[in-house]
Amino acid sequence: MANGLHSGAGGAVGERWARTDARAKVRGELRYAADQPLRPCLDVVLHRATRPHALLESVDVEDALAVDGVVAVVTGAQLYERFGDALMTGPAFSDQPCLAVGKVRYVGEPVAAVIARGLAPARAAAERVLVDYAELDAVHDVDAAAAGGPYVHEELRPSIIFGDLKHLRGKRDTNVNYEFNLRRGDVAAAESEALERGGATVREEFWCPPTHHVPIELPFTAAWRDGDRLEILSTTQTPSYVRQSVADLLGIPLNAVRVRSAPLGGSFGAKMYDRLEPLAAALAWSQKLPVRIVANREEAFLLTTRHGVAVTSSMTADAEGRIVASSADVRYDTGAYADVGPRITGKSGMVAAGPYRVDNVKVRSRCVYTNKPSAGPFRGFGVPQVTWSHESLADELARECGIDPAEFRRRNLLREGDVSAVGTPIHSADFLGCLDAVTEAVGWNTPLQREQGRLRRGRGVAVGLKAVLTPTISNAVLQLNQDSSATLLISTVDMGQGSDTIMAQIAAEALCLGEGQVRVVTADTDVTPYDTITAGSRSTYHTGNAVRRAAEAMRDKLVGLAAERFGVPATDVKLTADGLVSAQTQQRVSIPELLHGHFGARGTTLTTEANFTTSWVPYDHETGQSERVTEHWFAGAVAAQLTVDTETGRVHIEHLAVAGDVGRAINPTLVEQQLTGAAIMGVGHALFDQLVFDEGQIVNGTLLDYQLPSVLDLPDKITPIIVESPHRTGPYGAKGVGETTIIPLAPAIANAVRDAIGIRFARLPLTPERILTALAAQETHK
Amino acid sequence: MSALDLATPVLHRPDTLAETCSLLAELDQPMVYGGGTAVQILLKQGVLFASDLVDIARVPGLDRIEETGEGLRVGAMVTLRRMETDPVVRRLAPLAAQVYGRVANPRVRNTASVGGNLAHGDYRLDPPTALLALDARVELTSAGGTRLVPVREFFTGFQETALGEGELVTAVLIPAQPSPAAAFIKLSSLSVNDWPCASAAALLVPTGRRRERWELRLGLGALAAKPEYLSLSVPVGTAVDEVLEAAQRAADQVIDPIPDVRGGVGFKRRLGLVAVRDAVRAAWDVAAQPTAGSTRGSVPGSAREEDSDGQRTAQRRWWRGR
Amino acid sequence: MSTDIELAVNGVRQRVVVTDDDLLLEVLRRIGHTSVREGCGVGACGACTVLADGRSVSSCLARAVRYDGVPLSTADGLPEDDDVVAEFVAAGAMQCGYCIPGFVLMGHELLAENPAPSRAEIAAHLEGNICRCGTYQEICTAIEATARRRQAAQERRSA
Repeated sequence: MANGLHSGAGGAVGERWARTDARAKVRGELRYAADQPLRPCLDVVLHRATRPHALLESVDVEDALAVDGVVAVVTGAQLYERFGDALMTGPAFSDQPCLAVGKVRYVGEPVAAVIARGLAPARAAAERVLVDYAELDAVHDVDAAAAGGPYVHEELRPSIIFGDLKHLRGKRDTNVNYEFNLRRGDVAAAESEALERGGATVREEFWCPPTHHVPIELPFTAAWRDGDRLEILSTTQTPSYVRQSVADLLGIPLNAVRVRSAPLGGSFGAKMYDRLEPLAAALAWSQKLPVRIVANREEAFLLTTRHGVAVTSSMTADAEGRIVASSADVRYDTGAYADVGPRITGKSGMVAAGPYRVDNVKVRSRCVYTNKPSAGPFRGFGVPQVTWSHESLADELARECGIDPAEFRRRNLLREGDVSAVGTPIHSADFLGCLDAVTEAVGWNTPLQREQGRLRRGRGVAVGLKAVLTPTISNAVLQLNQDSSATLLISTVDMGQGSDTIMAQIAAEALCLGEGQVRVVTADTDVTPYDTITAGSRSTYHTGNAVRRAAEAMRDKLVGLAAERFGVPATDVKLTADGLVSAQTQQRVSIPELLHGHFGARGTTLTTEANFTTSWVPYDHETGQSERVTEHWFAGAVAAQLTVDTETGRVHIEHLAVAGDVGRAINPTLVEQQLTGAAIMGVGHALFDQLVFDEGQIVNGTLLDYQLPSVLDLPDKITPIIVESPHRTGPYGAKGVGETTIIPLAPAIANAVRDAIGIRFARLPLTPERILTALAAQETHK
Repeated sequence: MSALDLATPVLHRPDTLAETCSLLAELDQPMVYGGGTAVQILLKQGVLFASDLVDIARVPGLDRIEETGEGLRVGAMVTLRRMETDPVVRRLAPLAAQVYGRVANPRVRNTASVGGNLAHGDYRLDPPTALLALDARVELTSAGGTRLVPVREFFTGFQETALGEGELVTAVLIPAQPSPAAAFIKLSSLSVNDWPCASAAALLVPTGRRRERWELRLGLGALAAKPEYLSLSVPVGTAVDEVLEAAQRAADQVIDPIPDVRGGVGFKRRLGLVAVRDAVRAAWDVAAQPTAGSTRGSVPGSAREEDSDGQRTAQRRWWRGR
Repeated sequence: MSTDIELAVNGVRQRVVVTDDDLLLEVLRRIGHTSVREGCGVGACGACTVLADGRSVSSCLARAVRYDGVPLSTADGLPEDDDVVAEFVAAGAMQCGYCIPGFVLMGHELLAENPAPSRAEIAAHLEGNICRCGTYQEICTAIEATARRRQAAQERRSA
């Protein structure tokens, strides 16, 4: 039977179970990575580059070594001598050394690592490292970098893991490390035809600046060598990945590396792939010293950022308001190192045309190197930036056609079974349901007081589409203890999204277990099986399916044991909340009794395991098309009602309605918190979040300058709405939700501002200054 | 090479004012450590240049709020939070209580001191705007004695004050607020709880033998290299629009914004004029009420304020004394 | 310079040796109070909040020597039946949880000064604490609920 709508009669899925460790979190008793008891470690402080692009002529560590308490000072050259090309890491390209080798490519790049007894001597020594730079021309602008030099890397170094990137290996004289193309129909022809027949086209240049995740917990990594083994404790969403990456770096087998994670104090993509781990591992292994690296807030800004993106795009509708053509030229500024930029470029390029039925689509999406800190995965995985483009265009186009923006979208949104622009059919992505839910919530069709003194009021809506990362792999091991409590071993990391809670619910469902009976073990690669990554909202579906399978296998085992005990066929036995029951003979046994009887001992365990792996049909290199490019889609919508103060330029959001199609809400409270939380983060991006660079140097890299939404920035009212269009293969129909509402958030705000003051903003963020400047210009043109 | 021989300032913790003054006179590049938050941040960012820190937390008598014949005497170590909540301050200088209460957040206000807030000469800070409007005086003490400097002469340039070598702020003398017609507007450009981009404190004081004129006093923050003060005189009965116009014209002469990530010069100027207009209008509204003209016992900060950030600031209630 | 000071944390006195530069945040964590955390180092996020004599302080900017003998409270030392904690749990006021202890202490400070705060007053008191997961609404609800609970208990006592 398909993983459809009916539950295992377990009473867990769909319930608002309290979050695991709720009380420990409130009292501050939960231990995050930096709170874990550790063997004594030496502290590491980094000496960082002060130039955006320069050759390292010399790195003099003599003075640094002379500081009391310093045990070692290590340079990139030394590590390269020891590890060779294996020193270069990265999830797509093997292009990033943990300490600069030969040249530096961004301001803040680590150049030397001081290992000392305590932070004070480490810091003192780090300041005494003397570096001689031979400056090179630097490139800061993404379009300048796409067009030519200076070249950040002499040649491209795609990772050996990815066959589809092979053709790029050794390529020189370019900053474009990846290009995705999507071609469907004939955009130019469709455009001219539509225009001839009374249609309309809108075109614009969009810009989203680089921003930062700023999880409040700072990155922390400790590593030590135990004989032939290396152990790591790190703030990471991707322990399985780190194990592989470190094993490759050190040239040792996977079972010689142990990676432990911990509950994360927020991450949003900032703590993934290769951050501090390669450095900690390389130092611990080569120096045979236990080391601890903590990033302070300024350094955390340098570890990874969100891509700044330029989009040049157009959208064309015919006279009936049907979208007939869509084009986008997208440039992702991936900074000095590719990280997962190439994947982001492809995955976002796929949905750059938006959630619409369009026969003629042309997308070119490029990943470009510049001399700034690397950009990597951030909640939304590059999709918010292209959504900024397509939802702003759709809105303008609706206005050009004289159609209400919500109605225009209704006419054009993809429905169940429609084929998306990338060639894959839509299933369980209720765009219409989400759109209707949010427009109704804000009273889209009710009268609006547009002028109130110097305030101007408006409403806006936007719809988002994303494809889940495919292919990926999840595994789960379930241990049922004799007392009917259970232990779940998965490498999914809880960073606040509540995976520890909902995975327990999924496991409990098939086994009729109650709240608190299933405990998820913290990820530890010695114990928990491989999971691709905890990111991209993939865990509910993928790990959830593995957990469900493991739980059902456990149920089947129990049923088998009970059948044996009862002397009836297995088909006669059911697992209920009261234990295992024989329909025929009415015999009943509880799980503890059953297991005790079976093993003849207390404290025993039954174990099951399961795998859930997805596959895809890779997209065509020329056309970007694939009949199965993703395992499932995400659909979401946001509607906003806000005022613009025409004197101060300040935007005040009165009501924000946010909806996501989650297939099935395993825990509605946690879903609502994701819908709301992502929306609040999106408000920041829309109105004030941005990383400001000056010649490659971050200018606002402290929390005194980089602004995060505080309680005072909340909209007056936020309405989270759960839409459930069950997924035929999701666990109990469920899919993830972590990114869903941040994707269309910024354009919903901009569309509401457009409605309020008649001005279209193509550049984020919508600061009061930009708004006032535009209002003044509008005045002059009257 | 010792880790300590880097420029970590030495901490001194004198027990008396006299000891403090001696230290300030003798030490190479001393800095007073009052509330400490600003100094601590500068230290962390590596931009504090001081050989020694003189912590005055142990010096007795610096944290008193006293009612004097003229108004208030506030010790330099009085926290901003106490200025916000103390009943004596709220009664005698409600504008000051209001403005001190708008600085940053409660945690900062619990530690930051009145003296430190003045001594650093930060052009963005809110409290100087109120002190300028109230015509406060700053008491400076050194080994050579004590002197008073009107706050309107205290700020001399970008992060420069009248503090001489060996001097520290020991108190601020605030005359009793002569009129309840006061308002404070603070505008930010990034998140709502960000540093101000523009701030204005307005106070309308009846003057003239028959109280036939208003003296409009304006303290401006974040709008020039230092907090600025200006005043104009208008006849009672002038139409409010004319008053606003005059205030903006006068303020425009004085506004000279420093551009930064929060905004460019043009934007900050525009915002500054809005802050001025909104503050003057709000003060005018209070003045227009029948009880206007009386001084003590009047509406001590319990008005509902709506500033242009579109936010209603909290309706102030009587706080339990702490 | 090193000094021997007495820290009085959650009612328990402890002698510790600190240098003049040691920050209260580091010292508290060193003696086991990991509910106090670093988030920004500049007092802007509130993850390092502690109560000193009932008043909230950014421990990342506070020198330990200044707190010799001052009664300090951290969230991990609140009584087991603490009502603010109970209401936070009931309201689901946490996601990753990293910032929450700071909010709990701010809640305590607010309610001690203002037993019946309006929603706006609660927000004004919390403006310096950042929750990146966006759990603000639940946090405000929890503090409101605590106020109501105390009010009801008060009414029962005086009845």
